[in-house]
Amino acid sequence: MIISSAKPFEEILEILKDEDDIFVVGCNACAAKIHVGGEPEVLEMCQRLEDAGKHVVGWVIPSAACSVASYDSLVEKNPAIKDAKTILVMACGSGVSIVAGVVDVPVYPSNDTVSLGGRTQGEVVPELCAMCGECKIYYFGSVCPKSLCPKHLLNGPCGGSVNGKCEIDSEKDCAWELICNRLEKIGRLDLLDKIWTVDEITE
Amino acid sequence: MSRTFKDKLTSNDFLITAEVSPPKGTDLADMLSDAELTRGWVDALNVTDNQKAIMRMSPLAVSKALLDGGHEVIMQLTCRDRNRLALQSDLLGAYSMGIRNLCIMTGDHTTKGDHPKARPVYDLDSVQLLSIIKNMHNGYDIAGNPIENPPQFVLGAVTNTDPSKKAQMMKLRKKVKTGIEFMQTQAVYDISMFESFMESIGDIEVPIIAGVIPLRSANMARFMNGNIPGINVPDEIIERMEAAEKPKEEGMAICAEAIKELQKLCRGIHLMPIGKHNNTPTILEMADIRKKQ
Ligand code: SF4
Ligand code: SF4
Repeated sequence: MIISSAKPFEEILEILKDEDDIFVVGCNACAAKIHVGGEPEVLEMCQRLEDAGKHVVGWVIPSAACSVASYDSLVEKNPAIKDAKTILVMACGSGVSIVAGVVDVPVYPSNDTVSLGGRTQGEVVPELCAMCGECKIYYFGSVCPKSLCPKHLLNGPCGGSVNGKCEIDSEKDCAWELICNRLEKIGRLDLLDKIWTVDEITE
Repeated sequence: MSRTFKDKLTSNDFLITAEVSPPKGTDLADMLSDAELTRGWVDALNVTDNQKAIMRMSPLAVSKALLDGGHEVIMQLTCRDRNRLALQSDLLGAYSMGIRNLCIMTGDHTTKGDHPKARPVYDLDSVQLLSIIKNMHNGYDIAGNPIENPPQFVLGAVTNTDPSKKAQMMKLRKKVKTGIEFMQTQAVYDISMFESFMESIGDIEVPIIAGVIPLRSANMARFMNGNIPGINVPDEIIERMEAAEKPKEEGMAICAEAIKELQKLCRGIHLMPIGKHNNTPTILEMADIRKKQ
């Protein structure tokens, strides 16, 4: 799923400072699952905007903001969108873009889109795939260095890891530490020997 | 004619290399006088490439100035700041200016330096960069287009020295496979770990040049342990630094002792003092290394 995080409300007010008659579009897919665009968040957003003196004309939660078929499909769900002078989309960047493609008013994001990740055991896990277009994740124990390693290193780790953590963030495990552990677990440390040439796509 | 670094690599000499930092500015005088302190003591000077992702003068320009001053140079080149076009074009430029020795590395991430918002490149990794330079030697660029009068560099790489780090050791072997002619290491304090490192690569013939950094205080040692990757200062050394009345002198003595030990284990040492080379000749003398010329 696409991982995004909610912008601070002050920032949203700032980007909407010259706008009014706002219609809020949520997203019942990724954004709902990670609680940045489902019904509770959309209702809360409408309330906070009203409290801040904005007029909210209505809201809708399509099954996925990134798959909105047409303007009519939104009208069908809530005709109030016809009165909107501005739309606030509580989804990822592609949701914002798709919605903007079917309406004639300015469209703004309420979220910052971070990466392609997932959610498991109650936790959001970011940066699982960099969408390189040629999946080779199985060579790395299904832990993708193109995404998890900030230097996208395929031939092995940089020298910068301290105590198994990444050079750029001591809270984050070094991708290569994870890859090694995983390959060891599945008995495929031999895969480490593969030399990746300059032809391999990394991003 | 005096012997080149390449000649010395294939000899039995115990090699001494040292690091100099390009200036953050346009005046080369300080850097050149620092290099002067090492004249006659070292076989080559490494010129760092925006080390720690801190913007400084181009290693190309600094290497050229050192060559003009009669120094043997190893130009460092990282994968952080240049894509494959820029890397190859700088390499052609380097060769035309007389630079013959290269030390290739991934490079610290931009977020660690003084321009944290800079976009990091990493178009190639160190293994890939080493192998494409080999191709350039054979007369071809990455795209397979012919290069006229191809360069012929002496290629080196870097490594950490903890033999228990599987992925790092695997990467070291990949670098060796590209045909490198020397390898410089992160600073070594734990001689017994270094000994097992050397044992674990006993089948590798590439000359290993062990890094050394003279300690200045017990705090510096403690800091390096928690913060500098690949460095492990053993407790005994920290205790010695703590007990010393003159910690800087003690740090030099510890460094000289390490150099003596390393002479039995590997092909050379690489001195990376914090700051200038004022103490470099003294440390080498203390380690019974004689001035070369
Ligand atoms: S190799 Fe990595 S970045 Fe490419 S598609 Fe597979 S998981 Fe995504
Ligand atoms: S520490 Fe690991 S994850 Fe971080 S940049 Fe280096 S190799 Fe990549």
